[in-house]
Amino acid sequence: MRILCVAEKPSIAKAVAEHLSGGRSETRNTRNKYIKNYVFDYDFGGQPWGNCSVTMTSVLGHITAVEFPSEYKDWKHPPPERLFDAPVNTVIADDKKDIAQNIEQQARYSQGLCIWTDCDREGEHIGHEIREAARKGNAALTVKRARFSNIERAHILHAARHLIMLDDKQVNAVAARIELDLRIGYALTRFLSNNLKTLGGPLANLVISYGSCQFPTLGFVVDRYFRVKNFKPETFWSIKVKHKKEGIDVNFSWSRNRLFDRASVIVLYERCLAAKTAVVTKVQEKPTKKWKPLPLTTVELQKMATRFLRMTGQQAMTAAESLYNKGFISYPRTETDKFDKGMPLRTLVQKQAQDNRWGTFAQNLVNGGFQQPRDGRHDDKAHPPIHPITYAGPSAALNDFEKKIYEFVVRRFLACCSEDAKGVATDIDILYGEETFHAHGVIVLERNYLEVYVYEKWTGTAELPKFTLGERFEPHEAMMTEGKTAPPSYLTEADLIALMDANGIGTDATMAEHIQKIQDRDYVRTVPRSGRQGGGDDDAENSDEAPAARGGRGGRGSRGGARGRGGRRGGAAPQARGGGGVMEFIPTRLGVALIEGFDRMNFETSLGKPFLRKEMELKMKAICDGHTTKQVVLHESISQYRRVYNQSQENLNVLKAACRQYIFDNAAG
Amino acid sequence: MDLAVQIRSGLQRQGLPTPTIEWVQGVLPNRSPMPPLQALIATAKARLMILDITNGSVLDANAPALPPNLSNMEVAETKLGRDVLVQVLDIENLSKSKWEQVEELEAIARGEQTRGREMIRLPTGGEEDDEVGYSTAATQALSSAPGAARGANGASTTPKNSTHRLVLQDCKGQKIYGLELQRIEKIGIGTMNIGEKILLKKGATVARGMILLEPANCTIMGGKVEAWQKSWIDSRLTRLKEAIDNRSRDG
Repeated sequence: MRILCVAEKPSIAKAVAEHLSGGRSETRNTRNKYIKNYVFDYDFGGQPWGNCSVTMTSVLGHITAVEFPSEYKDWKHPPPERLFDAPVNTVIADDKKDIAQNIEQQARYSQGLCIWTDCDREGEHIGHEIREAARKGNAALTVKRARFSNIERAHILHAARHLIMLDDKQVNAVAARIELDLRIGYALTRFLSNNLKTLGGPLANLVISYGSCQFPTLGFVVDRYFRVKNFKPETFWSIKVKHKKEGIDVNFSWSRNRLFDRASVIVLYERCLAAKTAVVTKVQEKPTKKWKPLPLTTVELQKMATRFLRMTGQQAMTAAESLYNKGFISYPRTETDKFDKGMPLRTLVQKQAQDNRWGTFAQNLVNGGFQQPRDGRHDDKAHPPIHPITYAGPSAALNDFEKKIYEFVVRRFLACCSEDAKGVATDIDILYGEETFHAHGVIVLERNYLEVYVYEKWTGTAELPKFTLGERFEPHEAMMTEGKTAPPSYLTEADLIALMDANGIGTDATMAEHIQKIQDRDYVRTVPRSGRQGGGDDDAENSDEAPAARGGRGGRGSRGGARGRGGRRGGAAPQARGGGGVMEFIPTRLGVALIEGFDRMNFETSLGKPFLRKEMELKMKAICDGHTTKQVVLHESISQYRRVYNQSQENLNVLKAACRQYIFDNAAG
Repeated sequence: MDLAVQIRSGLQRQGLPTPTIEWVQGVLPNRSPMPPLQALIATAKARLMILDITNGSVLDANAPALPPNLSNMEVAETKLGRDVLVQVLDIENLSKSKWEQVEELEAIARGEQTRGREMIRLPTGGEEDDEVGYSTAATQALSSAPGAARGANGASTTPKNSTHRLVLQDCKGQKIYGLELQRIEKIGIGTMNIGEKILLKKGATVARGMILLEPANCTIMGGKVEAWQKSWIDSRLTRLKEAIDNRSRDG
């Protein structure tokens, strides 16, 4: 019996072939220089296949794409709104034809097809594409799917003997998303570009690309930008009490914190002074902890990488993807933040003991310090939290980003398997006149996980002197202080990821791409945080000679490419993260004009707000859960967006006015 | 006549100032037999609570009022000599900057608090790299931000350490500030109405022209003056913005 196995990318095909064949496979070239066919024998152990002759090959991400028929090529005619119900064809992408052919050909000699794509929604759809290609060669194939989340040997061998079925619900959810992205993206991109072109100037030759994730993402950046720009500082007053005891200066903070009225604070302050003495109303000493982190999810990985590793979310994902393909870490696209109780975590910890940076820490865990990680509340039921699989020493062939990500994943994992940091906290309340003041002290006793998890700090404060309940004393100093409120800061990438996550924009796996895309489109720019002062520098940021590149690809997820070999760092490399610190996101004039325009024309369902996209993401999930179908979702979402499209057409002058105002500095509109 | 007097003394027993007999008679229903006395007193009280007490035809001419000169800022401390009924003309949350309140109102105006249209914003204070929460709770919030942020969304509850300042008015039309010395649950923007009545108790402290409100020295009686409440709400955003502009010009 012959079985054809197909993975999502060459590195996985190679690794799986190696494990299944025990290293004795024959490698054959195909017409695509990246794709090899590995031929070997393997016993699947019955159910349904026994001892078989296997050909293992792969694709490079998606092999099909959707497109409109050629009569819709022209941007003006038929009018863009026709794209909401125009026919859509699924075709094999030009650069994937030889790959599809290889599968079709191999399928002819096979009785069974085993799919080894990544176990997530997108992978399920790629599995479906492979199945369709294979059936062209042999319609009678039995199709199975392997479920795995890393390419460690035992895990792969287990997956090969416990094959499951392709999940058509997930396939349908992705198919719906692909079709919606195509229709909505094309229709609105053409609508925007055609109509705003007439304003001339920088818009004359610009393709204004719309994507249903990009716009809300841009919306967050613009929202924060205005919050910074519109901010009005205000003065507040407070009372601080100082006392010296046992040679220690103690600062008591006011329970009201601060008030925005001077006269009221003066009255309260005066009454403190009049009282002369303060009385201790509470003395409490209790153990405190700083909790160790939760097991690592994709969103958390990206946030931490942008905060502490000087990378963009996308650089972090590319590096993590590559580490996964090389077998060093588990699958990096996961929402799960709890480890399955059955996982051999100690064994994974043991593998890190040889390292000279965290090896001793790991060894101590193995020698008895090991603690079961905390359980988060998320479980995508497909993949465990991101964790190291095999050890990668300092000499491993990894680039700088990969090294940093690997180190982070390992340190996070070891921290999870360690113990909370422990300390003791002292709280003292005093009543001074009618006002309550509070002093708080912490002494760190055991650093535990913090020893290895260098990204967090916990520094204790000075020890507080002894106070007893009911004790009266005359404070050495009581001051009325004054301060001013400060504007919020511009969004960082970590903030943006958190906002997208909280508002349901994009999946954990695609967020970084959307963030990159709004930069590529020149809707936002990033600047080092230090470069900001008072928000008045926006003119310097917005010398808009936006390149008119980027064809009308609309919001099409370019996921296939991104996942392919992690090698799409071609021309679109993000701005290098200079030596400086965190980068901040500031919208360009174009970005502001588009969001303001949409906000002003469609109050309820502005495309600059997350609601519509969030609903769409929830519907995708409902398809996966079997609560609705692809047809229903397509119908609902297309009508929704068509409504917004029509509204936008009616209120086009509002959008144009916003463009004149923000791009041409013409407030008259 | 007799009934009106009975109602009047019923109100007095609840610590309320005496209304004029004419007003009480006007409140009496045109029914026979009359409802029981307790019900009539309750009705009269409810009617009183929604009126402007400075209206001369409502309260007896010698109803208790604030002593003149009480809002003199030169006097460090004095005590209220008798119970006085006042009405709320304005309420301000001194713990929140005006701008923060403006942003909240504008978010509501944009429909962001409507179901299904919620915009989730995250705290802007910034989880700076080296900022570490000391208590267990704060530490926890840092390490699982999204969940915690969702909780922070429902903004309408007033935190425990909030301090409000009220503008209060007695039956003679005299105005005075009331400062929340101790937190009083019923005082809050959204929970307290404009025109709501407060009974200030004898012995309440007045410091530099501000009555220091504590649960022990004031009874929140409820009620509101509908028209005042409406215009207060409608103009709140404008007032806040004007106050910010004036203040920044001064300062």
